[in-house]
Amino acid sequence: MSLTATGQRIILSDVHLSYGSQRVLRGLSLHVDAGEIYALLGGNGAGKSTTMSALLGFARPDSGTILVAGHDPIAQADKARDQIAYVPENVALYEHLTARENAAYLLALAGRHPAPQDIDGAFEATGLQTSAWDKRMGGFSKGMRQKVAIAIALLRAVPVLLLDEPSSGLDPRATADFNRLVHDVARRGAAVLMVTHDLLSAADIADRIGFLESGRIIDEAAAQGADRFDVRDLHRKFAREAVTA
Amino acid sequence: MNAITLIARDELRLMRRNRVTVIAFALLTLLTLAAALISWSHQSGIAETRARFQAQAAQEFTAQPDRHPHRMVHFGNFIFRPLPLLAAFDPGVDAFTGNSMFLEGHRQNSANFGDVRQSSLLVRFGQLTPAFVLQVIAPLLLVFLGYGAVARERERGTLRQMLVQGVSARALLLGKLLALAIVAALVGLPALAAFLLIAGQPGALAGPMAVMVLGYGAYLALWSIIVILVSALVRRGRDALLALLALWTVLVILLPRVAPDIAAQTHMLPTRLETDIAIQQDLHRLGDAHNPDDPFFTAFRQKVLRHYGVDRIEDLPVNYNGLLAVEGEKLTSRLFDDYAKRSFTVQQAQSRLTDDFGIISPAIALRRLSMAAAGTDLEGHRRFLAQAEAYRYAMVQQLNQLQADTVRYADDKAKDAGADQRKRISADHWQTIPQFRFKPATTGDLVEASLPGLGLLLAWLAFALLALLPVARILQKARA
Repeated sequence: MSLTATGQRIILSDVHLSYGSQRVLRGLSLHVDAGEIYALLGGNGAGKSTTMSALLGFARPDSGTILVAGHDPIAQADKARDQIAYVPENVALYEHLTARENAAYLLALAGRHPAPQDIDGAFEATGLQTSAWDKRMGGFSKGMRQKVAIAIALLRAVPVLLLDEPSSGLDPRATADFNRLVHDVARRGAAVLMVTHDLLSAADIADRIGFLESGRIIDEAAAQGADRFDVRDLHRKFAREAVTA
Repeated sequence: MNAITLIARDELRLMRRNRVTVIAFALLTLLTLAAALISWSHQSGIAETRARFQAQAAQEFTAQPDRHPHRMVHFGNFIFRPLPLLAAFDPGVDAFTGNSMFLEGHRQNSANFGDVRQSSLLVRFGQLTPAFVLQVIAPLLLVFLGYGAVARERERGTLRQMLVQGVSARALLLGKLLALAIVAALVGLPALAAFLLIAGQPGALAGPMAVMVLGYGAYLALWSIIVILVSALVRRGRDALLALLALWTVLVILLPRVAPDIAAQTHMLPTRLETDIAIQQDLHRLGDAHNPDDPFFTAFRQKVLRHYGVDRIEDLPVNYNGLLAVEGEKLTSRLFDDYAKRSFTVQQAQSRLTDDFGIISPAIALRRLSMAAAGTDLEGHRRFLAQAEAYRYAMVQQLNQLQADTVRYADDKAKDAGADQRKRISADHWQTIPQFRFKPATTGDLVEASLPGLGLLLAWLAFALLALLPVARILQKARA
């Protein structure tokens, strides 16, 4: 699927999912359009990680519909995953490989074989220092790892980007850099879904914010005007959700 | 390049970049090479020594002066078992069974009932041979190199990352397996070089060598799969290492030691003392040739006299003492053969029970295959004993017959001053006794004997390969 195509790239419709007797998702519905950044905001145990697992095809819903770029992540796992770039909370890369080697290896596994200059270009786009490109990942900070992961996502040119707690552990400068990168990806047409409990980061980056509580969206806010979100209002909603959760 | 090859290449790259891995691999390679060279040199030395002593024993036997034939029966002869070529790779039971025997009349070799062959438990200790390195040390190296192959991916979160890239868990397992199998093949290379060295020697048997290469290849492949399976099933690399070390200890060290003990307890052999007493009692029951009233030998005497149509021993055209020696040897040999057979029946039962443990220990299955193909197993030793006994019996009976045919009965009984000279026969007769020539097992025999072990190993391999399927399904979920 091309990055410039429009339409709903991520669809969750009335999704119910349980782990044994524990009901985690209870009728979750949301959609993310191409070029849109959607922040799924929720406290601990709200169902954020389970939502991410379901989108990646690692958790099977009891009922409801999940579509990623038009594919069911369970029944069509290969096709769905081929359309997803995923940046986990702790970016997992190979420490025995350099940044360049990591990108080349993970992209090759995904069936992509970019030219070396394309990898360099992606690293430049993420702002990763040139001196780090040929260093092994062992000493990389979380921000640097995220830049490598985003570079890989850029090179994969997939229509869906999933971010799991992307700002956790990042300093404000690194957070701002990261947000800029995510914006770049979305501007290229990707649908971005991030799960987070960082309200400020969500307000800074998202086009829409969904408040997740006990496995379903209880409220939603869309960015409007230059100020985008009324942070106080968001905070009020989030606090209420956190109290009731 | 597909995902399997990519993953294998990356795993090998990781090993190459890990100094400990490289050192461990280099050490094992050196160890295998050293084992091959040491073993080759050791076995060549033994073979040369045995050949020299065999020639010396033969020379001493044929160089004996004119003597009474029965003196030669007691002078006896030493024989030595030549080593099969593959003993340089796997000496098997050779070091514990002994390979030289003193052959004489009235008794079988003492080794036949020796404590050293009470059971096969004494033959299972490791020596530094290529077989030992591949059977015991190589799996340990594979454990250390591969325990984290999958567990590490899970532990560090790259497993999920990899699956999200569209890589299937099956491809991941196969890629890791391919990498470890390549390492296993490299580990086996020095041993293969030793094989080529042996293959270049006259008398090398291609069939058993091919079975051995196949068997060791299957064994190392099996360990590669076991390592990957455990690594995929266990959440943390450390746990995978502990589980694999425990498995290695049980399968490679413990069971091969315990199995012969259990076999020895289940099928007990009498002690040498018990056997000696039983034999003496049976010999006593057979009769006494010197007792004129002994019913057996009285009947024998009557039979001989009837046969020659004479009334007195002195009138026989042959030396009665010689005939008596022939008959006595026939009787005692039958008795000794009977005890030897009983002993070997028990030992074979012990071996069978030990071999049955190959169902739960691939190391035992491989040892069975390796020793059988090399011709250094208990059966190889039994073959030597059987041929030695056949030779001893023929030699002693030929000498006894010489006594009957060439020494006069009256001279044999005489005790005058010149009697000793008259009892002697020409030393030329010693030349007519053939030298001992050991006939080694044929290619067909060795291959056939090694097939059960190979079958067990291949069954293990097939089972392990099948186990990859459900493990891949578990891994695919990658909840961690």
